[in-house]
Amino acid sequence: MFSGPRQRGLRLLTHAEWCGVPSEASVLLCKTVSMRAGDLAQWFRCLLHKRKDPSWISADIISTVEFNYSGDLLATGDKGGRVVIFQREQESKSRPHSRGEYNVYSTFQSHEPEFDYLKSLEIEEKINKIRWLPQQNAAHFLLSTNDKTIKLWKISERDKRAEGYNLKDEDGRLRDPFRITALRVPILKPMDLMVEASPRRIFANAHTYHINSISVNSDHETYLSADDLRINLWHLEITDRSFNIVDIKPANMEELTEVITAAEFHPHQCNVFVYSSSKGTIRLCDMRSSALCDRHSKFFEEPEDPSSRSFFSEIISSISDVKFSHSGRYMMTRDYLSVKVWDLNMESRPVETHQVHEYLRSKLCSLYENDCIFDKFECCWNGSDSAIMTGSYNNFFRMFDRNTRRDVTLEASRENSKPRASLKPRKVCTGGKRKKDEISVDSLDFNKKILHTAWHPMENIIAVAATNNLYIFQDKIN
Amino acid sequence: MEFKLEAHRIVSISLGKIYNSRVQRGGIKLHKNLLVSLVLRSARQVYLSDPCPGLYLAGSAGTPAPPTPQPGEPTAQPPAGWGEPPPPAPRAAWPDTEPQPERPAVPDAPRAVDPEPAAAVTGAGDAFRGREEDTAEAAWGRVDRPRVAAAVAVSDVSPEGASVGCPPTREEQPGASPAADCRCAPRPAEAEPSAPPALYPRKRGAAGAGGGHAGCPALCSTPLKKPRRDGGEEDGEEEMETGNVANLISIFGSSFSGLLRKSPGGGREEEEGEESGPEDAEPGQICCDKPVLRDINPWSTAIVAF
Repeated sequence: MFSGPRQRGLRLLTHAEWCGVPSEASVLLCKTVSMRAGDLAQWFRCLLHKRKDPSWISADIISTVEFNYSGDLLATGDKGGRVVIFQREQESKSRPHSRGEYNVYSTFQSHEPEFDYLKSLEIEEKINKIRWLPQQNAAHFLLSTNDKTIKLWKISERDKRAEGYNLKDEDGRLRDPFRITALRVPILKPMDLMVEASPRRIFANAHTYHINSISVNSDHETYLSADDLRINLWHLEITDRSFNIVDIKPANMEELTEVITAAEFHPHQCNVFVYSSSKGTIRLCDMRSSALCDRHSKFFEEPEDPSSRSFFSEIISSISDVKFSHSGRYMMTRDYLSVKVWDLNMESRPVETHQVHEYLRSKLCSLYENDCIFDKFECCWNGSDSAIMTGSYNNFFRMFDRNTRRDVTLEASRENSKPRASLKPRKVCTGGKRKKDEISVDSLDFNKKILHTAWHPMENIIAVAATNNLYIFQDKIN
Repeated sequence: MEFKLEAHRIVSISLGKIYNSRVQRGGIKLHKNLLVSLVLRSARQVYLSDPCPGLYLAGSAGTPAPPTPQPGEPTAQPPAGWGEPPPPAPRAAWPDTEPQPERPAVPDAPRAVDPEPAAAVTGAGDAFRGREEDTAEAAWGRVDRPRVAAAVAVSDVSPEGASVGCPPTREEQPGASPAADCRCAPRPAEAEPSAPPALYPRKRGAAGAGGGHAGCPALCSTPLKKPRRDGGEEDGEEEMETGNVANLISIFGSSFSGLLRKSPGGGREEEEGEESGPEDAEPGQICCDKPVLRDINPWSTAIVAF
């Protein structure tokens, strides 16, 4: 099943290193294996970014992961308000094997903690979401948001600088104009590549509640931001105004029964967006129908199974993420125990339901006690929409192949990625005799959760965030 | 019986979460608190519907009916009424304090301005207070925790609100909480537009009463606990906790109705401040407009009344 090992030397980085804090690091050699098309179990080539010192700080916890449209850049945001961007190495003759490695490209502090004096509230600097804008020139743009403020960042490269100014010394000191006897034309000289990130727009003060989603429209001019009760539409150029397009705040807050949990624009139709709720429903809205899209155009809800009702039915039905397929024909929702694929043309029920960790259903009470039941898992499609991926506990993540109906559980861990070891499928023992290599439900580590994953838009490269570590897996077909 | 214990346990955990959410960085999360309150409601329904002839149940289920129909005692409903709207009759007594929007059976009494319900509630509250003083206190001791949760910026309210039956502590807390509550639960819209400062004490009473009104049901049920309580201190406390919690839940029962109302008027500054910036003050404590927090405030003030 697996081909022979091929050793790779990898430059290992820790998340702390990315942010300029020195720490111990170790290099892992990973093997590559061949992967038959569609065979999800053959992930390998682990580019492990892991901090050796287990005593990481909570500010390092990765809170969002996002590839850009080409897949060459991978952005991560963390709880400390920092954004770290990785860039894929270009193929080059000198390093033929380095194609596909992601290295740190830029690091910057996107958001700082703020204090709202009026309400005596601290505003967390944690980056909730990052969304890239389609590239239109040499620079890259992305939107990053915390609970209250969205920022548009421009990431640009500088590899030349001008020398030979007339009015300035090389040191930058101004020269006395009277001393200048001759004029020269400044020339551009190469310099070490410097990547600069600068905030170009700050979209603030539009959300009363915590922002949970942002989504760039296919028109590349507008984007939406959603908090618990409202969705606002922005123009990328205008920061002092936004349009409220969805408002589910009841006149009487006591009647509040559901909140918005995620929202996304349709990938092709710039007038269509969806938003999910804490009640497990998805509403599709068409902005052409009215200015305020309180009335949905489509309403997706699966009838609840009365036999599985429990205290926590409402919590586990809350949708934590909604993603359109690249085709725009389907959308995927993630609730606590499952992933559902919906056909936009059918509102009555999903076309596919994949159980992520059904074995947790009997443990909901404990998960409620330790707050794990409130974890918001994300999900993602692969480039061709043939596979979907989502995270679980114990640093497990799951992939489902929609065509073959096969699924696999993989683990993002250092131990699992030893040199010359391939990424092998894991299995959770749900009862009865535990087989070798299986893990029993009770020995799962619920502190190791994979909430954020991302799939390269075109290739089989995935980024998996496990607390403060980022794993990048890639397959290579021989 | 197991269900009851389970439900009780879940209720305790939920209240703890609500309390802890107060100290979370970044403000209270609306989504999480909403889910917790839903769990509270489910647990409450199970708790009340479990026909276990257990100690408390005998008290809670039986007594509520026989004794004076405590107005606004949602939990006074016999088991049959689980998950169903309390009878409109008792509710009518508190039209403003416990409207039940999602229950068509109950006329959704127009929300009066704060002073109104405050007045009505105050009277009732007083009556209740006088009656269930001791048990209520103990019961509210338990409630202190969630109440405290409402006060985001309250520094002097110590988490040991969990200490049940700690009069001195409670007394301090209520003093702090109302103010804090005001701060943290600014509801300009609801916060009586016409709340002149003079109403402050009244509001507080109302809040207390309202909470008390919310708490009144608690009081109402506590008497049931009484006999039981005499049986054994420990059991008594346990029951009171349960009963108290059950009442808390009964309050949530009607979604977020009633209590959410005026959050304890709070300081004058707060009121005025709130009125001025409704939209901004909304999230007050961001999602502090959770009914959960709301009704907790009243209770604290009610305790003060003691």
